[in-house]
Amino acid sequence: MPPDSLVAPEIPDVEKIRNFCIIAHIDHGKSTLADRLIQQCGGVSDREFRDQLLDSMDIERERGITIKSNTITLPYKARDGETYQLNLIDTPGHVDFSHEVRRSLMSCEGALLLVDASQGVEAQTVANLYLALEFDLEIIPVINKIDLPAADIDRVREEIDADLGLDPFEAVLCSAKTGKGIEDVLEAIATRLPAPKGTSDAPTQALVFDAQYDVYRGAVMYLRIREGRLTKGDKVLLMHTGKRYEVEEVGHHGLQRVPRKSLEAGEVGYLIAGVKSVRDINIGDTITIADAPAEAPLPGYQEAKPVVFASLYPVSSDDYGDLIKALDKLVLNDAALTFEKDASAALGFGFRCGFLGLLHLEVVQERLEREYNLNLLLSAPTVRYRILLEDGEELMVDNPSLFPDPSTIKSTFEPYIKASVLIPERYIGAVMELCRDRRGENTNFSYLAVGRVELTSEMPLAEVLFDFYDRLKSITQGYGSFDYEMLDYRLNDLVKVDILVNGERVDALSQLVHSERARPRGLHYCEKLADTIPKQQFKIAIQGVIGGKIIARSTINAFRKDVTAKCYGGDITRKRKLLEKQKEGKKRMKMVGAVEIPQSAFIAVLKTDASK
Amino acid sequence: MPTVSWSAAGIYVHVPFCSAICPYCDFAVLVGNARKRQDYVATLIREIQLRAESIDRLGAVDTIYFGGGTPSLLEREQLQVLFETLASTAHLTDDCRVFFEANPEDVTPARLANLHALGVDTLTLGVQALDDDALAFLGRRHRAQEARQAIRLARDAGFETVSFDLMYGLPGQDATAWRQTLDQAVALAPDHLSCYQLTIESRTPFDRAVRERAWHPADELTQAELFRLTHEHLRACGYLAYEVSNFARHPRHRSRHNQKYWHHVPYVGVGPAAHSFDGRERAWNERHLAHWQRHVQAGRIPIAGSESIDRRALALEMVMLGLRTTDGIDLARCQRRLGFDITADVGRRLAEWVADGLLIREAGRLRPTLDGLAVADTLASEWKLPEDEQCLTETDA
Repeated sequence: MPPDSLVAPEIPDVEKIRNFCIIAHIDHGKSTLADRLIQQCGGVSDREFRDQLLDSMDIERERGITIKSNTITLPYKARDGETYQLNLIDTPGHVDFSHEVRRSLMSCEGALLLVDASQGVEAQTVANLYLALEFDLEIIPVINKIDLPAADIDRVREEIDADLGLDPFEAVLCSAKTGKGIEDVLEAIATRLPAPKGTSDAPTQALVFDAQYDVYRGAVMYLRIREGRLTKGDKVLLMHTGKRYEVEEVGHHGLQRVPRKSLEAGEVGYLIAGVKSVRDINIGDTITIADAPAEAPLPGYQEAKPVVFASLYPVSSDDYGDLIKALDKLVLNDAALTFEKDASAALGFGFRCGFLGLLHLEVVQERLEREYNLNLLLSAPTVRYRILLEDGEELMVDNPSLFPDPSTIKSTFEPYIKASVLIPERYIGAVMELCRDRRGENTNFSYLAVGRVELTSEMPLAEVLFDFYDRLKSITQGYGSFDYEMLDYRLNDLVKVDILVNGERVDALSQLVHSERARPRGLHYCEKLADTIPKQQFKIAIQGVIGGKIIARSTINAFRKDVTAKCYGGDITRKRKLLEKQKEGKKRMKMVGAVEIPQSAFIAVLKTDASK
Repeated sequence: MPTVSWSAAGIYVHVPFCSAICPYCDFAVLVGNARKRQDYVATLIREIQLRAESIDRLGAVDTIYFGGGTPSLLEREQLQVLFETLASTAHLTDDCRVFFEANPEDVTPARLANLHALGVDTLTLGVQALDDDALAFLGRRHRAQEARQAIRLARDAGFETVSFDLMYGLPGQDATAWRQTLDQAVALAPDHLSCYQLTIESRTPFDRAVRERAWHPADELTQAELFRLTHEHLRACGYLAYEVSNFARHPRHRSRHNQKYWHHVPYVGVGPAAHSFDGRERAWNERHLAHWQRHVQAGRIPIAGSESIDRRALALEMVMLGLRTTDGIDLARCQRRLGFDITADVGRRLAEWVADGLLIREAGRLRPTLDGLAVADTLASEWKLPEDEQCLTETDA
């Protein structure tokens, strides 16, 4: 049972509702602030308290990131004596999940813009602010971590003024860690954010901004009532999909769900209506009453389209069935993940999957390996290319194995992004160079404040997939932050590079790349494979080829001697254990022709080379 | 023709003292002093008494091996009492062989005469190299001339087998230099030779030096070349390999004791870090002298850990060790001991290995060729053993 203080009056006064979110760069303390707000409002007992209260997935807690949106309703007794209903909508911070961010922002009237008192304004802070302004949100700047010895509040105020164009003296100072200033934050929410508009008597419009899968109840929709109300028993219509359901339960979010008779205009809450999985719902859809529908759906409906594609193969073909089951389960709660069957001559049966970005890909891979105990091989991630054939047909290709015969291709196009990088001034040269190296176009920079620069560049998404972020971090010694948005498709010159191991094509290592990139990328693959494939009894040739033309090669010499010199009494146990470990490692290898390729080789080719 | 007696067991005595620690060594050794050595001997005698029951259970014992460390640091009286204790505890056979490791700098005619009189049959000298630069690099305390002198003295002292150790694959050592060393070694006419390739053991000074790039160990190509050269050249000189690093002028000079390790014959080890094997379980003593001593003085057998060798582990060890010896794997013996066919799941690879000239199948044995011996570790790691359930259902009746 939730604490009594959480039980709100059945019909809320819309004037006392405040819907808000917290936007911040990663590590600026968003989850800690959320935890502290919840604690302060009595939303959690000390016994129930744990860090990152709103992040329920292991992976979120471990990596300190938010993947799914979450909400909580907090009653707050303000200094004016009135009790406000504060609805905190926790949004993911990463660019991969920006569609979810947008919808969460649409459900709010205001946002806390959190800035770390020592780190200052970062790329995601700016990007998120722009997003928030797009939705006309009232912004309260909050300077967090003021307890840190390195805190430099004056500098951060300057950045808020210069980089963000906000009034620095409106900023609230706090330390989510120590609890200092939290009362001021809550007070600012109550007094400075506007109440929602909308009336409960108008035709119902409710925006579905996220959905979570519940094993017992199916899909639980998170919504914001714009107009009208939703009550248990209502027959509702999802305006984009046209599907009809009967409302089983509505309510607020405490730490658990708190059922209520109805949700009224301006409120944020959940709805359960016997929907089996989140796939049956389009996030961004509008719910209305079937018999008295609203005239039009709310804006904001946009399908989450995967932009990064890769194939997943079980290391052991016995695990194929388990992989299907695991993916089926994952998509119950992850509507953005797509998958279809794929087969590789080298790696057997697997799935071609679509992801929102590299973080999404990593998260999915990690969850499959950890929560479902699967050993997986991953092919090189690729983007979706547009290909115009000589006969006028147009194809979208995201799988190298479906790349058409080059002689039939008229032209190829690849997706571009607008990358935005915030860096200290001294790194301009190095980052410009990096952008140029990644085929960046229209690279520009502008001074945000003294010594701080925002650099923008239009570059192919494919160039970002391949270790761009690692390189950026390394050349800016960790000071660079990065964000991007999709732009358009642009004409390029695309080729398919195949990797041959002892003459056998390893189709899972084939890649589509810009022709300029073909040779260095081919070489990188050959070298990485030469480093990671263990020596065998014969010489192994590794080649990168375009069609029949060899563009890169490396060789793994046959091993000649590996026997250890000594093996007496105690060595025997040690040596046998080493052998057992090696044998275990071989289970994670794939045979290509007569060559055993370890899983680590498939991973190594995707990694950046630190020495370069 | 194997000269191993399968029925009789062995005893190993670890003497952990050295006058200085060699930079490549990761054995349980320390620089002691006379008082520590005296304490050690007293403790060792106590350990032998504590283990009287398991030594009794060994039945006939036909080898005693004094290794280290540097057994030659012990005094005559200390050795005398150790021999007496062992003789009164173990069932020593009439032809029991006693093996003794000594450093060249400790060798004098009088000491050798003592050892011979005490019953030492095989004297193994830690020569390691036959030129002064290499000896200095290896941190040895003797000069090449001393080593030669020690070998001559040992031969004159009348030991049945005189053996010495050499190391190869030192940085900068090429085939010409190593062949020269081998020729010099052969000219000294030992009965037995051990030639060990330099191995960089972790947490040794050499390990640190290599990591700090002070010098580079020989590359794989050179190692392979030197390995092959060692075996071929010694063969031409009349020394036949019977294991990866061991060569004998006649089968009777093969180390009867060491072969017990490779054929899973039981042995009891006494002294710090010594291992014991009773046919089912391998156990190891406390590694640190002080810990080992504390246990023994408290009346406890100083075991730090043990593992039972189930059939699967035994099978893997039989493959791993068998492929290191020129006698190879005795298939009938494996079948008898394991109750299943060790080659059941490795058929196709086996045929390939035979076709590739790595193994020879004859007379119920799988013997490695020289090429096979060189890659014995890989062969063992690729050897697919029958799955557990299979082994068990076939044999548990």
